Amino acid sequence: MKLILPPGVSRARFEQALKAFASVVGPEWVLATDEDRETYLDVYSPGRDTSHAASAAVAPASVEQVQALLKIANEFRIPLWPISRGKNFGYGGAAPRMAGTVMLDMGRMNRIIEVNDKLGYCILEPGVGFFDLWEHLKSNKIALQLGIPGNGWGSVVGNALERGFSPAGDHSNNICGLEIVLPNGEVVRTGMGAMGDGKAWPLFKHGFGPSWDQMVVQGNLAIVTKLCLWMKPADEAAISIEIKLPKPSDLQWCVEALAPLRLQGVIDGLVRLTSYQASATVPTLRNQWYQGSDSIPDDVIAQMMQRMNVGWWNGPLRLAGFSDVCEANLKRVLERLAKFTKQEFPVTRMRGDAQPGPTTYPLQMVNWYGGRGGHIGYSPVMPADPKLVQEQFERTRRRYQQFGLDYSGTFYIDGRAATNVNLILYSKDDEEQKQRVRQLFEALIKDAREQGYGEYRTHLSYMDNVAASYDFNRNALLKLNERVKDAIDPNGIIAPGRNGIWPKAYRAHRGVL
Amino acid sequence: MKQLLVLLALAMPALGLAEDLSASQLAGQKVFAHRCGMCHREGGTGTFVLARRLGAAQSLLEQRTDLQPETIRYVVRWGLTNMPRLSRVEVPDPDMNQLVAYLTRPRPAAAP
Repeated sequence: MKLILPPGVSRARFEQALKAFASVVGPEWVLATDEDRETYLDVYSPGRDTSHAASAAVAPASVEQVQALLKIANEFRIPLWPISRGKNFGYGGAAPRMAGTVMLDMGRMNRIIEVNDKLGYCILEPGVGFFDLWEHLKSNKIALQLGIPGNGWGSVVGNALERGFSPAGDHSNNICGLEIVLPNGEVVRTGMGAMGDGKAWPLFKHGFGPSWDQMVVQGNLAIVTKLCLWMKPADEAAISIEIKLPKPSDLQWCVEALAPLRLQGVIDGLVRLTSYQASATVPTLRNQWYQGSDSIPDDVIAQMMQRMNVGWWNGPLRLAGFSDVCEANLKRVLERLAKFTKQEFPVTRMRGDAQPGPTTYPLQMVNWYGGRGGHIGYSPVMPADPKLVQEQFERTRRRYQQFGLDYSGTFYIDGRAATNVNLILYSKDDEEQKQRVRQLFEALIKDAREQGYGEYRTHLSYMDNVAASYDFNRNALLKLNERVKDAIDPNGIIAPGRNGIWPKAYRAHRGVL
Repeated sequence: MKQLLVLLALAMPALGLAEDLSASQLAGQKVFAHRCGMCHREGGTGTFVLARRLGAAQSLLEQRTDLQPETIRYVVRWGLTNMPRLSRVEVPDPDMNQLVAYLTRPRPAAAP
């Protein structure tokens, strides 16, 4: 990728800044060749790769180096985009929002600082991956559970800071204390860590006064150098109930049946209901089922379900905890389901620590059209109301059909809210199809806004659209975020444009792709 | 005990016990395990996609004897079909050299 300079920075100034960065981290950790820039592109982007092209990357190894780099970035007005491991696939990968931004690659800061099985937490640096932490737990026989997202290649810290989630729930809810470096280089510890040697840093979330952890999550006020994360002790037993529903309309009664049990705590994790398509995209190619360029029609879907032995909606429902409690909860779940259907659901009992480890297997879905593929996720949050969930599904599926794309949706039902993750797969080399993908995405944002639903997370290219949809009192929250941004980061050097929050130095870039 | 032996036999290729590896190749094997193994060992997504494209015999990179240094370097940095790219923070140049040494190591001739 050819060099795109940071806005307003001359080539000579840019080279000077890189030299200054190199004096901090060593020349081998300033990456600025065309090939280096290529490695930070969003390979799955639905738009132009140049929209989110980095100009260089710099990789610190310590908090002191992060401080020194921020000083230089302020002096030379170089915007930095921090990444933990850069595996935010479907949302922009390792790329920055604004072209020309320098990546602050935190991958070298990869220490597992502490894992405490008695009190159930770990303290991590950003470069620690799910595989690393998993191996650490297994090789040290630590009986703690790890909430693992679909793509286990990424960073535990980065995932929590993006509000990633798994059936165990929203991982950012488990954050309990951060060490952050502010744009002026000051190091702050949040919560109980604000006390020098604060003993309850990873144990009690709020400390004294306002809580800052969530100010940093999905934001751009600081660089996170350590994160304390709660982990749940391993369960004694687990029960998996195989939910396999034959009709698209079964979604409504299933939500009606299960959402109250989730709210009451009978079901411990999120209830996940995934459409048939997810069973096909990982192990098969689209042309094995259908050659048309429109959305896969119902008769083919019926064949797919039959051949793969899956339902229209699928999801293992997991109950975990002490085995007698699991059995009692199983009875409640089956009784509740029996009120709505005569269908039987196979039950599998297993040890509570028989949790599958991290995997990258789901990434295979991007191969759906063969050749170079891409994926993007559209994920609005809505009430866990059966009728509204059914309507959301039907409205969304109609949009996929309108734009000739294959519907692939999952509803994660929490007690109160439901998160509807919609996956859009495409061929990277089909410009016409990518155009339809972008049209679909914009239509979905508009539809959700009309219903009063908003996305919990989005791709770089849609951050401004989604931020705009949070429009109470003429986007008062966005304006507040930007006032805080300007106060804390007057030169706007940290992650300009992240989640639609633009510092004054780069505000003209809002909406620019 | 029998189970243990079977497990050891299965683990041998991964542990480097089956072959005498040089220090650089052994280091490269560690790089492979840490940076590539999650997709390119048995059951990984890279192995699956390669099997679909080239057949099962070509799907496990550690068993391939036809990998060229330049191809490895290119694919790591530029990706291939759906494989994301790995930066020089993730696989620094010295690690890349070790990885190449491992994946292109001369193999003992196959038994007749």
